[in-house]
Amino acid sequence: MQRCPNCNVEQFDGTIFCADCGAGMQAVQRRETTTALNKASGSGSLPNVVEDTATITPVASDARMHQIVLVVINSGRRIEVDVRAAILVGRKDHTRGIFPDIDLGLDGGYDAGVSRKHAIISTRDGGYMLEDLASANGTFINGRKLAAQTPTALHNGDEVKFGTLILRYEEH
Amino acid sequence: MGPGIQLRSTLSRSALGESNEQQLIYVLLEMSAQGLPTTLPKLPLNLCLVIDRSSSMRGERLMQVKEAAQRIVDQLSEEDYFGLVTFNDRAEVVVAAQRVRNKADLKRMIGSVEAAGGTEMATGLALALQEIQRPMLTRGVSRMLLLTDGRTYGDEGRCVEIARRAQSRGIGLTALGIGNEWNEDLLETMAARENSRTQYITSAQEIAHVFSDEVKRMHAVFAQEIALQVDVRPGGLLRSLDRVRPFIAPMPIAEEKERSWAATIGEWSGTEVQAFLLEVVVPAFSAGDHPLLRLQMTYSLPGMNLHQQRAEIVLRVAVRPADEVSYEVDATVKHWLERLVAYRLQASAWQHVEDGRLEEATRRLQMAGTRLFEAGEVDLARTVQEEATRLLRSGQTSAEGRKRIKYGTRGLVAGSENEREV
Repeated sequence: MQRCPNCNVEQFDGTIFCADCGAGMQAVQRRETTTALNKASGSGSLPNVVEDTATITPVASDARMHQIVLVVINSGRRIEVDVRAAILVGRKDHTRGIFPDIDLGLDGGYDAGVSRKHAIISTRDGGYMLEDLASANGTFINGRKLAAQTPTALHNGDEVKFGTLILRYEEH
Repeated sequence: MGPGIQLRSTLSRSALGESNEQQLIYVLLEMSAQGLPTTLPKLPLNLCLVIDRSSSMRGERLMQVKEAAQRIVDQLSEEDYFGLVTFNDRAEVVVAAQRVRNKADLKRMIGSVEAAGGTEMATGLALALQEIQRPMLTRGVSRMLLLTDGRTYGDEGRCVEIARRAQSRGIGLTALGIGNEWNEDLLETMAARENSRTQYITSAQEIAHVFSDEVKRMHAVFAQEIALQVDVRPGGLLRSLDRVRPFIAPMPIAEEKERSWAATIGEWSGTEVQAFLLEVVVPAFSAGDHPLLRLQMTYSLPGMNLHQQRAEIVLRVAVRPADEVSYEVDATVKHWLERLVAYRLQASAWQHVEDGRLEEATRRLQMAGTRLFEAGEVDLARTVQEEATRLLRSGQTSAEGRKRIKYGTRGLVAGSENEREV
């Protein structure tokens, strides 16, 4: 048995989508990691990155604590992420070897002015922080522009904007 | 090997990890026709149109319906039967069920229909059922084709009951809704049996196309009385069986004997691919190859006078030490599962709306949107998200959005391909 990271209801091993809430049970099994980011930056100045975590192994019961959801308003896509360390938000670029954890290229990120390495979401003291990586078009929380490289606290229900792409931030 | 239907199965994972617990595996079951002559003799068609002619149909809609019906007459041959029943506050037989001999006469009768009055569907259906049973058909395809644009009040129960009576006699129902006023729950319920389907027509210009497709589909029926039996080994369970192609629909299953499930599939038209998704609970297995379930299908090929035909496959599952298996999921299985999950989520969302649990309903719709987005159904995902936002803000859903989502998640909206820009 394993627990759904979204609704915490027990599901059979091998379940692909939770039979109760419909959430992906493999969401945490990420193939694209930000290892390329560290190489590119060449220094330890950026927070650690998320490594592949096997999903089907039983999820620890405190998994809920790390679950955040970003809803892309114009496409309706719900992006469920497990923030264990730090999550890169940006646009995938194969040629430059940039593979963000949250790829907004799928949501019209290019047109909306999302940078390849746009921002980072991390945890601090049980809460979540958003940090702009000196992106070309800026990162905003509830319309307020964030100073570059300055982690700012996120709160449930915040409207987050990367360039002009609007997302709703939810904690679960 | 003689002609017949073959079964092909794909498992969600090529190998399972050894476990002392039950696990879940998904099976995609596809049917394919083998060794059939390319031109099978067409089965005679016995078609009765049941047309709503209430005053709301006046103008473009009724005009398109009449043209579409006249085009159907052109598609039929002397082997086929055609009938037309209309209803408003009462029902009348416009064309008595008859062989399609004098096409000009039939078209003239169709042309005489005019719109007026209210909508009393059950009376129309009852009269159509009477009419469609007049021809003596030893073999063939019998179908009532219902088109409505409005709600029928007070006789919904009778409508369902008449539909069931027809279906139990091998007469299928195609229920078409046009516009935003009709009761999608009623149409879905009436069509939730074998040989029946429902579709949402978004604009009057689509009517002719939908009618004509339906006749083509019926003419291409080559297998009938298809039934499936699934035997699962001890410790296992068939949790669900759903049709995923040509459209998504839950299939009622019954455990008729211990660990032996039965489902009725009905007929199969050569114009369509048939695929089903099974959720199977796998018992605890040690490493090795284990037979998991046996799928048996019975069917008849009336065009070739072959009855009580049989196809069977035994599904085996490979079990390996847990650290040697990959968790990679078959992409095709996942795609159909994603669509199916989206369909289920929206269905439960409407239930939550009805019960007043709006927050839960919103969550379900949002999740349905995520699933659709990831399945590549971007437009539909957007519609779902808009409806979720509307529900969250106003506590209401829109009739149009609801229909688009209900029919869209099943893959049953006519004209959606032409409306990409919306």
